[in-house]
Amino acid sequence: MALGDSDHPADIDEDLHSRQLAVYGRETMRRLVASNVLVSGMQGLGAEIAKNLILAGVKSVTLHDESVVELWDLSSNFIFSEDDIGKNRAVASKPKLQELNNSVVVSSLTTRLTKEQLSNFQAVVFTDIDLETAIEFDHFCHMHQPPIAFIKAEVRGLFGSVFCDFGPAFTVVDFDGEDPHTGIIASISNDNPALVSCVDDERLEFQDGDLVVFSEVQGMSELNDNKPRRIKNARPYSFVLEEDTSGYSTYERGGIVTQVKLPKLLKFKPLKEALKDPGDFLLSDFSKIDRPPLLHLAFQALDKFLCDFGRFPVAGSEDDAQGLISIASAMNDSAGDAKLEDIYPKLLRSFAFGSRAVLNPMAAMFGGIVGQEVVKACSGKFHPLFQFFYFDSSESLPAKTEDVGDFSPLNGRYDAQISVFGSKLQRKMEEAKVFLVGSGALGCEFLKNLALMGVSCSHQGKLTVTDDDVIEKSNLSRQFLFHDWNIGQAKSSVAASAAKTINPHLKVEALQNRVGAETESVFDDDFWETLDVTINALDNVNARLYVDQRCLYFQKPLLDSGTLGAKCNTQMVIPHLTENYGASRDPPEKQAPMCTVHSFPHNIDHCLTWARSEFEGLLEKTPAEVNAYLSNPSDYSKLMIKAGDAQARDTLEHVLEYLDLERCETFEDCITWARLKFEDYFANRVKQLIYTFPEDAATSTGAPFWSAPKRFPRPLQFSTSDPAHLHFVMSASILRAETFGIPVPDWMKHPRKLAEAVEKVIIPDFKPKKDAKILTDEKATSLSSASVDDEAVIHDLIARLEQCRMNLRPGFRMKPIQFEKDDDTNYHMDLIAALANMRARNYSIPEVDKLKAKFVAGRIIPAIATSTAMATGLVCLELYKVLDGGHKLEDYRNTFANLALPLFSMAEPVPPKVIKHRDMSWTVWDRWIIKNNPTLRELLQWLQKKGLNAYSVSCGSCLLFNSLFPKHRDRMDKKVVDLAREVAKLEVPDYRRHIDVVVACEDEDDNDVDIPMVSIYFR
Amino acid sequence: MSSPSKRREMDLMKLMLSDYKVEMINDGMQEFYVEFHGPKESPYQGGLWRIRVELPDAYPYKSPSIGFVNKIYHPNVDEMSGSVCLDVINQTWSPMFDLVNVFEVFLPQLLLYPNPSDPLNGEAAALMMRDKTAYEQRVKEYCEKYAKPEDVGAAEEGKSTDEEELSEDDYASSDEEVVGKADP
Repeated sequence: MALGDSDHPADIDEDLHSRQLAVYGRETMRRLVASNVLVSGMQGLGAEIAKNLILAGVKSVTLHDESVVELWDLSSNFIFSEDDIGKNRAVASKPKLQELNNSVVVSSLTTRLTKEQLSNFQAVVFTDIDLETAIEFDHFCHMHQPPIAFIKAEVRGLFGSVFCDFGPAFTVVDFDGEDPHTGIIASISNDNPALVSCVDDERLEFQDGDLVVFSEVQGMSELNDNKPRRIKNARPYSFVLEEDTSGYSTYERGGIVTQVKLPKLLKFKPLKEALKDPGDFLLSDFSKIDRPPLLHLAFQALDKFLCDFGRFPVAGSEDDAQGLISIASAMNDSAGDAKLEDIYPKLLRSFAFGSRAVLNPMAAMFGGIVGQEVVKACSGKFHPLFQFFYFDSSESLPAKTEDVGDFSPLNGRYDAQISVFGSKLQRKMEEAKVFLVGSGALGCEFLKNLALMGVSCSHQGKLTVTDDDVIEKSNLSRQFLFHDWNIGQAKSSVAASAAKTINPHLKVEALQNRVGAETESVFDDDFWETLDVTINALDNVNARLYVDQRCLYFQKPLLDSGTLGAKCNTQMVIPHLTENYGASRDPPEKQAPMCTVHSFPHNIDHCLTWARSEFEGLLEKTPAEVNAYLSNPSDYSKLMIKAGDAQARDTLEHVLEYLDLERCETFEDCITWARLKFEDYFANRVKQLIYTFPEDAATSTGAPFWSAPKRFPRPLQFSTSDPAHLHFVMSASILRAETFGIPVPDWMKHPRKLAEAVEKVIIPDFKPKKDAKILTDEKATSLSSASVDDEAVIHDLIARLEQCRMNLRPGFRMKPIQFEKDDDTNYHMDLIAALANMRARNYSIPEVDKLKAKFVAGRIIPAIATSTAMATGLVCLELYKVLDGGHKLEDYRNTFANLALPLFSMAEPVPPKVIKHRDMSWTVWDRWIIKNNPTLRELLQWLQKKGLNAYSVSCGSCLLFNSLFPKHRDRMDKKVVDLAREVAKLEVPDYRRHIDVVVACEDEDDNDVDIPMVSIYFR
Repeated sequence: MSSPSKRREMDLMKLMLSDYKVEMINDGMQEFYVEFHGPKESPYQGGLWRIRVELPDAYPYKSPSIGFVNKIYHPNVDEMSGSVCLDVINQTWSPMFDLVNVFEVFLPQLLLYPNPSDPLNGEAAALMMRDKTAYEQRVKEYCEKYAKPEDVGAAEEGKSTDEEELSEDDYASSDEEVVGKADP
């Protein structure tokens, strides 16, 4: 194995790498930090691979190249500027790559490599190597002890290839990167084979053949032996265990089943063997199922062409194309069984024309793929690419074939790109008006790509980038245009000026506006109407939906993409050709039901959700309420009296507690408060709950109340000798002190002194609240205290608050604390982890460390540079199509990819739904227009003439008319625009001549008809 | 199934066509109140509740949020906030369901067959499990005190819609908010 385990694992900067740690985990990161990698060939692809590895944080990256920077390199290499032309590529690359991450050793090699030098590395990557040398080097690496991971990757125009050989016996530690699936058992049969059913709380995600282990099974305890067992017939709530359980004890209750992921052994073939017997190719596009064998041939033919002629085929040269086709044809004829029926000369011709060019989008995409393969080789995390991957994006070529003269170089930085697409498309790209929404991880990659491609780089062009965020440390591990000296600065401005360094011709404007309804004066009609295309670089669905609506409205193409860990997806929204982004949606994430979180947690996520909610209540909401009261006691009281409900009463009770009984003046008070909180949360509340529902409680049907998935809780006994208990008291008292503005004394950070202080706190004995049973005996008297008139209680609470206020020093305010997950020194995550873990202890749920707690409670979205780079490369391949114009639906591709598996799934976008009514038909891209400032009645009549009965008219989220509301009938003779102004409070800018309303209609047979948005012209 | 953009309009319309009394807040379509009668042959019969319905931005992909405005004694309804812990609404919601389903099926089912094994109101659940008669007595007492049709109707006329909106916005349930929301 090529795992670079070292004796002294280097420390990982967890603030810098938190998003990446969420994908890889600490173990993989430790292995990465110990790995030395060679990247040979520093054109566009080499630069992208090196960037991704340096960001990921390997131990060292050695850059190798024997040649000098050429003008052609500027089409795809983000490091070089025109000043670098003539310098050695590796030498020119080193300083700028080093800036990305100072903890990685970056060095350069400029002389011919010998195979012996490869022994210095755990993984070697070649992006520009002839086959003969490749075979020799690969053989050396394959036979080396331990083996060295060998990767050969090439991008030639719109064609790309990757080959991996990680040695004769490579162990994959984690083949998919997913957490092991689990289930909560409801029953197990005594049978051969045994049937296991699980609670219907969550669907099981096991697959036939998975291995599982059992724990906590009561009754059939034979299964709790931690032995992996194979399952079959996996269904949503049950599976069959290949085991004879008929002689086992009878299942009683409880039990958890957990998937076991065993390491997988892969036997790679060396390159020489694999070339002849490539095995299964990894397929990316089912509409091109016969393409990989053809490209396998084409790349070998190109290698031969290079050997024979000592140069690449020239773009536009029919002779050279024919030369390549002849070589391929001859190779194919001698291929025996592997002979292809058709070698598609037309495709080979465009392969030949573009072969010298490294295109930026291809380099970005393959840089992501190859970077990930190196991480796999160094860590054993995720399943390697086994062994060949071929890809082409020939659909990106202009829809109309260009005159061959159009491919000739213009002696400029875009020559490589021109050799593939022609100078006409190049001009269109330079003149494009582009809106890039977001300047985070995706945004940085896009800015680099657009700058290299020359998009918006002439004086007619304009790139607008907007992002309202500022740079934080955790961004730096993948938002590579930012450096640590930029922390705190606006993302869009820093990224835009970095992009201008890459290509000084870029016409870019950086804005700090969040895109949304509130910034429609910035991004106004004029802005949208001049755009050619919008590119989303967003991290949330709501913003995507908003941009989608705007693009739909202004009929602009929208290129969307997103990543989650090693996964990425891209979606093209092209006016009239495809459905819009919002037309299909993923189901929202399932949230744990409230009752589960409140009283019956059964996993650590429930505990963390609860902890986060308690944190906010204790430290943010109640202090804020206290301040609201103190700022204006009489108004606050009036509002509470007016509300007069249980909610208001509860809020007031909390405010009173904070200002009266629990008010803290010294740090000792804070310790007392924290200690009492511990007692309340982890002892008294649990005692109360098991008093109300004893362990043997049964429901009305006689079933045990405490049955799966519910777990029976046990109260904690506080002990100063338990560090976790003390840690809770420490973080809670420190944060409590912060809300009261009390300084934290140094002594409290010594566990012994803290323990002494905690011991002094007097804990009242717990007395269970009178339970329901007792209450029923008293029912003759009155309702329980809970139902006493809220209003009376509120008046009483306000009176008591007034008293407390008199005793406060003038101007007293609390300091509400807002949860901030990314500061390791603020005790926020300490308290949340402590709250969650103490609760987990109550319910015998396995506890988590602070890092895992941070991922869940901080809702940290796992993110790595590789999948981000790949997504933007894929989008830019689509951008060629959009800016060319004239492409058909079948030329576009949406992609879903998971670099962990690896999986690439590309498909044609879905066309928009066509709606027909009478002789009309329309899609979501159409709009209906009614002029002459109609009244509501006129609008309804206009629709009536089309055979449509309108029952509801709305504007924004406001209802202007609903046929069932009697009062809406008075609105009939008002102008629609006036209704929109009065009811929806719509403000129409002076330049706009229309408003838009959404009308819900039925046809003559009362069927709903989904009509387009209606634009009403009123001036 | 029609496009999601018009589902609010359609579902609201269907609800009103099924004779539910709907009260909009300032003509907005996100939040409104619906009157709900306790189902026959349940201890809740004769009670009238105002149900606050909130349609999230992602409706109908995301379930409506449902809360009892006037108090109810029920194992699955939080006594203080009126939030419902109803499996079919919170957990197994599908865009195929609509508001009529909520008021014709889900809520009546909830009141007819409380589920004391997943309680939000532990006291009510325990009482129901141990002493059904006493539990039903308590339910009726609550109905009498908090859910009399004449009071609920009067309360509604007493307050203007503006005031209601203000009060709701200012004092939204603190607990529920934290548990439910995903912050991006």
